Amino acid sequence: MKDRKVVCRCEDLTEEDIIHAIEMGYDNLESLKRFTGATTGPCQGKGCLMHIIRILCQKTGKSPDEVGVTTQRQPVNPVPLYVLAKGESEGEEGEEGGKE
Amino acid sequence: MRVAVIGGGIAGLSTAYFLAKMGAEVEVYEQKYLLYGASGRNSGGLTAQFADEDLIKLALRSLELYESIQSEVGFNFLLRRDGYIKIAGEKDAATLEEEVSYQRKKGLDVEILQPNEVKEYFQDINSNAFALASYYRDGGVVFPWPVIWGLAKGCRKLGTRIYDYSAVRVEVSGSEVLGVRVGDELRKFDCIVNAAGAWSKQISEQAGVEHENKIVKEEICVTESLKPYINPYILDISTGLHLSQSMRGEIVGGMVGREVEKINVKGSYDFLIRYARRVTELVPKLKGLSVLRQWAGVYDVGKDGKPVLGFTKVRGFVQANGFGRNGMSLGLAAGEALAKLILKGKNREIEKFSPT
Repeated sequence: MKDRKVVCRCEDLTEEDIIHAIEMGYDNLESLKRFTGATTGPCQGKGCLMHIIRILCQKTGKSPDEVGVTTQRQPVNPVPLYVLAKGESEGEEGEEGGKE
Repeated sequence: MRVAVIGGGIAGLSTAYFLAKMGAEVEVYEQKYLLYGASGRNSGGLTAQFADEDLIKLALRSLELYESIQSEVGFNFLLRRDGYIKIAGEKDAATLEEEVSYQRKKGLDVEILQPNEVKEYFQDINSNAFALASYYRDGGVVFPWPVIWGLAKGCRKLGTRIYDYSAVRVEVSGSEVLGVRVGDELRKFDCIVNAAGAWSKQISEQAGVEHENKIVKEEICVTESLKPYINPYILDISTGLHLSQSMRGEIVGGMVGREVEKINVKGSYDFLIRYARRVTELVPKLKGLSVLRQWAGVYDVGKDGKPVLGFTKVRGFVQANGFGRNGMSLGLAAGEALAKLILKGKNREIEKFSPT
């Protein structure tokens, strides 16, 4: 247990888990994210993304530029629904969504 | 037979998987990475509540296939069949009722629920916020990511190569397909399957085949995780709101999309506001929950809202697109049916969805 290097706390992923996934063929950042769930938990990548990129670089020999980053999704920090509900909608096509 | 499948989403991979199983030599070409398109951006709702007999059959078969394929390929799809509930406001209640009576006539185990009865399945829903509901107990939610990974794994096991980051061009000679061009190289195929979703129009154009599908952009967001407590997937046919809870505990919710001229996968602030308003009205208890992340995706919808499946005027060029927001519900069975069509030349199950 001493050797468990946790790189993503939200999804409970160790460095070994990431290496294993890369070896299984999930060897680009977008696939690695969607196979392991790293960067999609409560931290949204704030804690884990740099680790994931580092491991991917070390393992594949690519530069951080080549590995790239995942799309940063809004909001930057979590926002409660009641706050958003008070926001102003452009109201295009009225209040209602499209039909199925 | 050599088949090239264009598009690594559920339609393409499922078609490839069944073709390979039936002995064809298959290659899959994905322009970006697996899960870039609608198969990686949807909310995973599974239902058979359709107003068309053949769609109902495809959906029922898909539900069976989810169960069997996940053990066949050895991948957990995080499938949860805890029901699918469509709700409707006053103005759409009659439509919902008609739909249910049609579905029941076709043997589907679906029932009408009054708003207070929906509370039995989801205690926190505001029964004043809608007028009527339709409950399909065998529907549910699947996590789309492992579905795609699992199908890809199954394809590879059968010897199918999947090329990602590989945009291709369809090459046609006269009224017959020649193959696909990858960079400068022409790879010959007997059959090309257009499973490119929102991008399938461009592929049809390369083949010189008419294409009438519309493109719809839909947006989704997820909240922080709660202990799992919402069982069914809920779709409001009047406002377009949908929500469910993932196995990770997040509330995954969105608004049914709108037609767009150009492909665009940027999340909008306007969506968040509209979603937050409607979801807090429907489930007031969620008010304090925070949105973690939002995103958008595009899908294509065939004529009359039905998928486009089958041979075209160009020999060997096959359509497998136009699923709308029902790709996850229909894609597996559609792939199986298309594989049969391609190898046997005929398949009554999907005749109705033929583009010709």
